[in-house]
Amino acid sequence: MSLAEEYTEASDNSHLERGVAYVQRNSRAYLLIAPAAVFLLAVVGYPIIETFRLSLYQSPADSNIETFVGLQHYVEIFDSDIFYRLLWQTGRWVVAGVAGKTLLGLLIAVHLKGDIRGRKFFRTAFLIPWGIPYAISAVVFRWIEHPQFGYLNAILLKLGIIEQGVGILGNPSIAWLGVVVADIWIGTPFMAIIFLAGLQSIPQELYEAAAIDGAEKWHQFRYITLPQLKSVVLIATLLSTIWTFVSFDVIWTMTGGGPISSTATLVIHIYQVGLQNGNLGRGAAYSVIGFLFLFVFAIIYLRIYTRGGDEL
Amino acid sequence: MTMAGHDRSNLRKVRLYGVLIALLGLMMLPFYAMFSSTLKPESEIFAAPATLVPSDPSIQAYLQVWTQTDVLLWVGNSFIISVGTVVLTLLLAIPAAYSCARNDFVGKRTFLLSVLVVQMFAPVVLIVGLFDVITQMGLFNTYLAVIVPAAAFTLPFNVWMLYGYFKTIPVALEESARIDGASQLQILTKIVLPLTKPALVASITYTFLYAWNRLLFVLTFLTDSAKYNIPRGVFSMVGALQTDWRMMLTVSVIGIIPLLILFAFLEEYIVAGMTAGAVKE
Repeated sequence: MSLAEEYTEASDNSHLERGVAYVQRNSRAYLLIAPAAVFLLAVVGYPIIETFRLSLYQSPADSNIETFVGLQHYVEIFDSDIFYRLLWQTGRWVVAGVAGKTLLGLLIAVHLKGDIRGRKFFRTAFLIPWGIPYAISAVVFRWIEHPQFGYLNAILLKLGIIEQGVGILGNPSIAWLGVVVADIWIGTPFMAIIFLAGLQSIPQELYEAAAIDGAEKWHQFRYITLPQLKSVVLIATLLSTIWTFVSFDVIWTMTGGGPISSTATLVIHIYQVGLQNGNLGRGAAYSVIGFLFLFVFAIIYLRIYTRGGDEL
Repeated sequence: MTMAGHDRSNLRKVRLYGVLIALLGLMMLPFYAMFSSTLKPESEIFAAPATLVPSDPSIQAYLQVWTQTDVLLWVGNSFIISVGTVVLTLLLAIPAAYSCARNDFVGKRTFLLSVLVVQMFAPVVLIVGLFDVITQMGLFNTYLAVIVPAAAFTLPFNVWMLYGYFKTIPVALEESARIDGASQLQILTKIVLPLTKPALVASITYTFLYAWNRLLFVLTFLTDSAKYNIPRGVFSMVGALQTDWRMMLTVSVIGIIPLLILFAFLEEYIVAGMTAGAVKE
């Protein structure tokens, strides 16, 4: 703070001089962060600006002709039915996915918390789905849900729940559920591990005191575990929301956004329009809309993350 | 402990392990479906409804996969891409994290927070702009076309992980080394980095996995099939009309074996990395 005060008191000329002197004094510190900063500016910062610029142009990928069209892309997007359908499909994808991962993750974490035998084994085993390529998980689920040869149909037939095989991924009204299941399976381990870490940081005395007071298991969970776990759950679900919102590999591998675009989300549409169909300008406009969503998430995240204030 | 109490505690244990094993079974089911399918002969894999247990298990698919697919090439490419990403990320992250941990300078907070925001900016929403950058840099269809964006998106995690860890190493250690005449570089490589091993292992594991697993960058920036990684290779086997499920699942099993080995040895570090990435201590 004192530095900023010095700056405001100084005249313009010495302002500059002091600045130069300051940078020189700290040259090594700046030199060391420079490569990372420059790299991020080039690979992340510049594409952000480029995306904004492109969104104002009519720009087919296979030619170098760009025509300035102003906000036309945005106007057309907000006027189209596709956009609202995408919002709805993205929303249900995120809500169902995050809810599934959170609940299942919590269930696993609560059961792993105690002093159980073989904890390392269980922890490793539960972690594995998170670590393998999404594209591989996706093809495996595609195989499980195969209308003729899939395991899911075989099990359901055996249990007498269905009479003939159903094709989940080929059916526009339920295909998204078939993809969400894969997404939940992939995302649950992260939640379980984060929740487990959170659970283990709860002071054991709280439970001992509650046990002496005769509190039942459910009450202990409701009045000790959940409140103590609140901030962990908040961070984890927020991160999960962001990751689910931008998840690409699973949907792309399982359905490619189909059938009849029923599993497409905003990011799938960005890819289809911008790169597959080569309409860079329109794809960029959709990206900017995606940025805005992420921006909101990012602000909430930073708020929660820096709530302590001075750990930087 | 009374008999009744003993019984109840036993019952609780049975219930606990019962739930755990049921949950584990649920999570392992896809692996079972994948693995058991690869043990079926060609005729059985296309049986409707599917047989839940292979009637005549054989490793035939594993013998065929080497000649019928490019699985070795894809695994090799995955290694090149993952190792490249790890090296590039660490070269950028270590100096930056060290500088932030040891110095107080104007712009540090901005730098660290911007890095955190980068993590929010998922690659897919940037893909259109990124496509421009990769093409302009002349990287299209080279390994770097995948390594460069992967490094950019793993850099935030690495900077924060290492920054947090560097701060816990006492400055006194470095000062006494300096008095003994060690250079800045010697202090970093001989004293600081060896002490940072746990964080480094977590960083490397996270970055390696990230680069190994990603389909998007390879799908978008590599058209040369000789440079495909494992996810891209598996994806390329999904046919428009017909898919050779048996070979594809076999490639998948082979593609995840290196990861399973990694997990068995580095489980603690992976967990440390995951938790450090999301939850502050």
